[in-house]
Amino acid sequence: MPLPIAAVFLIDLLAFIGIFAIIALSLNLEFGYMGIPNFGKLLAVAGGAFFVGAIPGRVLAYVFGVMNGLDYIRDNLKIVGSLNQILSSNPALSIAYLILSLIGAALAGAILGYIASYPAIRLREDYLAITLLAMAEILRTIGYNWPDLIGGTKGIPIPDPFRWISGEFRILVATIIILATLGAVLAYVELVSRSPLGRVLRAIRDNELSAETYGKDIVKFRMKTLMVGSAIAAIGGALYSFWTASVTAAGFHRVTHTFWPWVMVIVGGAANNFGALVGAGIFVTLRKIISFYKSYFEPYVPFDVVWLEYLFLGLALIIVLMYRPEGLIPEKPTRTLSPDNLQRIISKIRGGGGASKEG
Amino acid sequence: MFPPLLRDAVIFASLLSMLSTGLTLTYMTTKVPNFAHGDFATISMYTSLILAEIFGLSPYLGIPLGFLVGSLTALLLYISVLKPLLDRGANYIILMIATIAYDMILISVINILADSLTYAYKIATRLFILKSYDFSIFGLPGIAVVAPLIAVVMVVALYLFLNRTRFGIAMRAAIENPSLAGVVGINVNLTYAVSWFISGGLAGIAGSLMPLWLMCNPDLGMRLIVSVFAASIVGGLTNIYGAFIGGLLIGFAEVLGTGYLSIIVGSWVIPYRPIIPLVIMSLTLLFAPKGLTGIAWREIFKRGG
Repeated sequence: MPLPIAAVFLIDLLAFIGIFAIIALSLNLEFGYMGIPNFGKLLAVAGGAFFVGAIPGRVLAYVFGVMNGLDYIRDNLKIVGSLNQILSSNPALSIAYLILSLIGAALAGAILGYIASYPAIRLREDYLAITLLAMAEILRTIGYNWPDLIGGTKGIPIPDPFRWISGEFRILVATIIILATLGAVLAYVELVSRSPLGRVLRAIRDNELSAETYGKDIVKFRMKTLMVGSAIAAIGGALYSFWTASVTAAGFHRVTHTFWPWVMVIVGGAANNFGALVGAGIFVTLRKIISFYKSYFEPYVPFDVVWLEYLFLGLALIIVLMYRPEGLIPEKPTRTLSPDNLQRIISKIRGGGGASKEG
Repeated sequence: MFPPLLRDAVIFASLLSMLSTGLTLTYMTTKVPNFAHGDFATISMYTSLILAEIFGLSPYLGIPLGFLVGSLTALLLYISVLKPLLDRGANYIILMIATIAYDMILISVINILADSLTYAYKIATRLFILKSYDFSIFGLPGIAVVAPLIAVVMVVALYLFLNRTRFGIAMRAAIENPSLAGVVGINVNLTYAVSWFISGGLAGIAGSLMPLWLMCNPDLGMRLIVSVFAASIVGGLTNIYGAFIGGLLIGFAEVLGTGYLSIIVGSWVIPYRPIIPLVIMSLTLLFAPKGLTGIAWREIFKRGG
């Protein structure tokens, strides 16, 4: 039973929103809560994607002995073909492969975040931004020019963990898994933002000096936040690769994976996870609509319509920065206990004896 | 006979130092690393292309026009984006994001221009080079003499401007302490605007010369920006002479490093050229974060001697 076209369109849209929302949430954790201007978001996203393109497939090929002296890149179609056959008849293996690959991608992202930020982690944020941007460009250069990693300019297909699902339901299940991951990431960053840790991050963002006088190690928090943020973004990149069942270095660019998430976070509202979510939703939906109607414009202009889109995005970002810097959904004050709850706790302490006198 | 590798290095290093000096100048005044700086040069590449391919003029005649186009593009960024944001109390991270947004706008404008030129005049606007418009002097291409000459003139002119003119001294005062400079009657906003004008102009000159030697594309500025930042950081980000030296250093290291490595280990290393400025930049940040000009050279020599 094939899915109706509208459903396919919607599933496609939801998958893209899910992936970009994961990336935007990771940037929101870094920039919104801690104020780290990560202009190298591409690094972690591409890192996660390159990891699942380069490592898990090779591991599977060795485990199931389909290498037989073949070259993973040159004979990729043959190897991935036989791996897909094994995976399609074994759902449990497919799921284990998916989960382990995502964990690996997260680790790879965290390591990349550590290495990339190391030279500038102790300096002012603008040095850090420049360094991260440069590191991301280098990873892209390597992915593009080193064919043994992920096939260079041509890219490679990767073993498909959703092969056991027949026909068009494959993308339905894949999208559900993407949205479930988004749910888990959202729950995590929301918990972090409400925890004492989240308050420390905001304290450092708002005034480094005063946070430092209270004994908070800024460099350590910055490093940890960048590693966690990069791990989350790498999961986003890995999920995108599994969704398309391929990795191409050319698919990862400063515009798409650094600039777009920034637009989402700023427009949606920094330091508010639901803002980042709304930003990603609006952004991806608008792009989808624009690309749908693009063909109507094309005959009338002497240039590629995609550039108008870039122009519009750049202008929109500047206008938001000027007139609504807090974004669509502004940052909320830190949630504290409700007055009723506080009263109950206070009366409990008072009732319990002399404990209240010590405070 | 001049070694070709050294010739390449001299040209690239000269062009890079024009870019890094301008970037550092605006960083010193407005305190924001400008991520759109490479695009100021890219726009001027296209003025050179238009002059050469449509009007048949030498790109050297396009230098004043390139200066003007680059400086006005930079001034527009300051007046229409950065100044209003500063007035609203935006911090430098917001300003940085705004320069990235401006980068996007410029890239789309450049690409629209490139596509439209191809459409209207049937000329190649992607991966173009104008070497055939260059002249030859003592067996060298003209650019190998003109580029270093302009770079030296630039740094001398900047020195004279900042130390011998009233306005230049006022600019240094505004860099040193904006509020105090404002109190003694210096128009701080004007000095900042002029710094953007000069910075964009220098990038524009470099850009108008680039098609004579480099393969030009709408994304060249975007790709060069890593080298430009590396050069400025090596120079210390707060010293234009440091940025000039940093530009020369990174330029020579990139060209000579890639050249010699490709001879030793093979030509496969050539695409990895951007790693060289990144490594130099990382080492600078780790061991001398204030750059070459931030090192207390006198102390070191005193102790040594």
